[in-house]
Amino acid sequence: MRVLLVSCLLTFFHSFAQIGEIRVGAVLPPGASPALEAVRNGLRMGEEEYDLNARLLGWRFRVLTATAPTPAAAAQVAERFASQGVSALVGGFADQAPALARVAQARRIPLLNIGDPSDRLRNEACNPYMFHLEASAAMYLDALATWFVRAGLRTWFLVYGGPEGGDLRARARKALLERHFGARIVGEKGVQERAFQEVLQAIRRAQPQVVLLLLPPEAQLAFLGQYERVGLAAQVTGFPYPEAQTRAFFREALARAPRSGGGYRAVLWEAKLDAYGARELNARYLEKFGFPMDPPAWAAYQAVKILFEAVAFTQSKEGGRIRAHLRDPQAVFDVHKGIGVSFRPWDQQLRQPLYLVKLASAKEAWDLASLVGELPAIYRPGTDPVERLDQLGDLKRDSRCRLGGG
Amino acid sequence: MGRIYRVSLLVFVLCASSLGPIALVQPAARYRAYVSNEYGASITVIDVTSDSVIGTISISGRPGEVRPRGMAVSPDGRTIYVALSDFNPRVETKEDKVVAIDVASNRVVAEYRVGTNPERVALSPDGTQLWAANENAARATGFDLRTGRVLGDFQTGVEPEGVAVSPDGRWVYVTGETSHTVTVIDARELRVLRHFLVAQRPRFVVFSQDGAKAYVSGEIGGAVSVVDAREHRVVQTISLGLDSRPVEMALSLDGRLLFVAGGGTSAVYAVDTTQNRVVRVIRERMGRRPWGIAITPDGSKIYTANGLSDSVSVIDPTNLAVIRSVSVGRGPHSVVIGVVQ
Repeated sequence: MRVLLVSCLLTFFHSFAQIGEIRVGAVLPPGASPALEAVRNGLRMGEEEYDLNARLLGWRFRVLTATAPTPAAAAQVAERFASQGVSALVGGFADQAPALARVAQARRIPLLNIGDPSDRLRNEACNPYMFHLEASAAMYLDALATWFVRAGLRTWFLVYGGPEGGDLRARARKALLERHFGARIVGEKGVQERAFQEVLQAIRRAQPQVVLLLLPPEAQLAFLGQYERVGLAAQVTGFPYPEAQTRAFFREALARAPRSGGGYRAVLWEAKLDAYGARELNARYLEKFGFPMDPPAWAAYQAVKILFEAVAFTQSKEGGRIRAHLRDPQAVFDVHKGIGVSFRPWDQQLRQPLYLVKLASAKEAWDLASLVGELPAIYRPGTDPVERLDQLGDLKRDSRCRLGGG
Repeated sequence: MGRIYRVSLLVFVLCASSLGPIALVQPAARYRAYVSNEYGASITVIDVTSDSVIGTISISGRPGEVRPRGMAVSPDGRTIYVALSDFNPRVETKEDKVVAIDVASNRVVAEYRVGTNPERVALSPDGTQLWAANENAARATGFDLRTGRVLGDFQTGVEPEGVAVSPDGRWVYVTGETSHTVTVIDARELRVLRHFLVAQRPRFVVFSQDGAKAYVSGEIGGAVSVVDAREHRVVQTISLGLDSRPVEMALSLDGRLLFVAGGGTSAVYAVDTTQNRVVRVIRERMGRRPWGIAITPDGSKIYTANGLSDSVSVIDPTNLAVIRSVSVGRGPHSVVIGVVQ
């Protein structure tokens, strides 16, 4: 019996001992924006916590971080990381996701996209080695449409612009007109510059209940400033690019538009979420960095956590096996959202709940946002949890990605 | 008439005395269910015979700030230990402690400091050691109730929650919610033996009566990990379904059925431990979000603490059906059974 016991223990420790040190390479653009700062913090906290966990199991977990100013430079950094034996890549900011995905595919290691919500990456530009922890634009737009329409706000005005404005507009129309019956688009306007006079006049004429800004973050702020001055009453919300989900952005929005900037926003995570273990995660982050956990920090932290779990449950640091685990329909990940989540097999998008926050002027960063909604509601006994999560975003029949499965 | 009565009584007492002490001085044990109300900062006491609330013990004058959560019962059933903390998990405050409630009087009779943010507690079978999972410190603390001293604090996985002591008192299992681990502490040597992986977000652990197995509920994994408690390794995983959200568990007296509180699914799962499969899901009349679950020592009733309906559901273990619902305080977290001799 004792021999058997020792044999089992040795087998177990041998399997973990083989892992040794796992390395993950994170590629970020340079700069000190609040979103990037949050990402760095999330990676740091993730590395500390999961290296601690790895040590409990007899191995090590390292996160290597480097900056790259362009997609081409990001690819070079990713190549260097791959040469150093990283098991996975993390990144996706500043249009670097496609370049990183190409390296990931060539090196046969997974990439976790934590910064790019573009639907193109989940459709015609999908890549079998790219997994999306960041929610897709389709998910955010479906969530926004659901929240506002359910609240009785049915008439919409779309303001679109920037490199992705056209795609966002098309998907917003689908969210409002096809997926959430009862909504009506009473006007839409494309903008090239940050002069919004014509748009504001059109909004005044159309009298919508909601103005949806499908604009880059800085343009959203510029619009809010001008919108505030003309005194229109419709609620304004904006597409939640990662930069537009930070409390620094909320503060700036409220500074430029104290009234109309205090609306509702969709977010990937909220520092005031206090169920499902989120309270403890948020508290650890707040204590460590002295600032609430912004959504980009959460995404970075969870990227590390998901990769840790993939290694732990496969007992392998080999990129192919990690990728297979991420794609496994039976694999479940715990991202502090109270429900096991998984990657959709057809486009490798993480199905997950999103949150709605209400902004309010405040001195303390903590008080700038309040959690007011969760979608989908995760407590729905008697319904299939995967189908419940798939209420947001594109189903397989809508997807132009051909990764199969599901 | 009076004389006849007095003589009869004398004869009865003499006869009864000749039967020895057992027949005379051992009245049937009476059970009380203790329910920790996380948001009410109180403990509701239920008489198990009538399923009526017989008292509420205030734990703090700051409901909504001080949280009673996990509980444990002394081996003789006469003392309830309640883990207390507050909603500021990263700072150790005077509210972070374990209080002892005397079942006979329903009074708090002692309190112990067992590190920051204790979430759940467990007692050794001889009642001398108290073990606490310190949720935000990634530690577990052992406390000697005889000396009033801390035995030691030990590294666990991140966000430790479930804690249990093996029936022989040798091993302490502590679950790490975020790490998906169980930490094995040698309670005799006072050292960590090892850590091993279980189903995702392990919330609770219970040993089989013979100490051969342990069951660990994985909330996010929707599964119960069956652990060989002599080799400290998972030997089987029982899937309850992705949406089952298993939290607290309780074993039937014969160990053949494992009752699993299905948290967010408002259900209780009955698992046949001989086949390791679900044999019944109890949903009808179940309160919302059953988090805690306990069986009376005589096996006659099962109680669940229902966090979202501020109630306790009473289950008949024979028919596996809810027979009653009892209103309790705000946010019931756990339930244990005390004994009044």
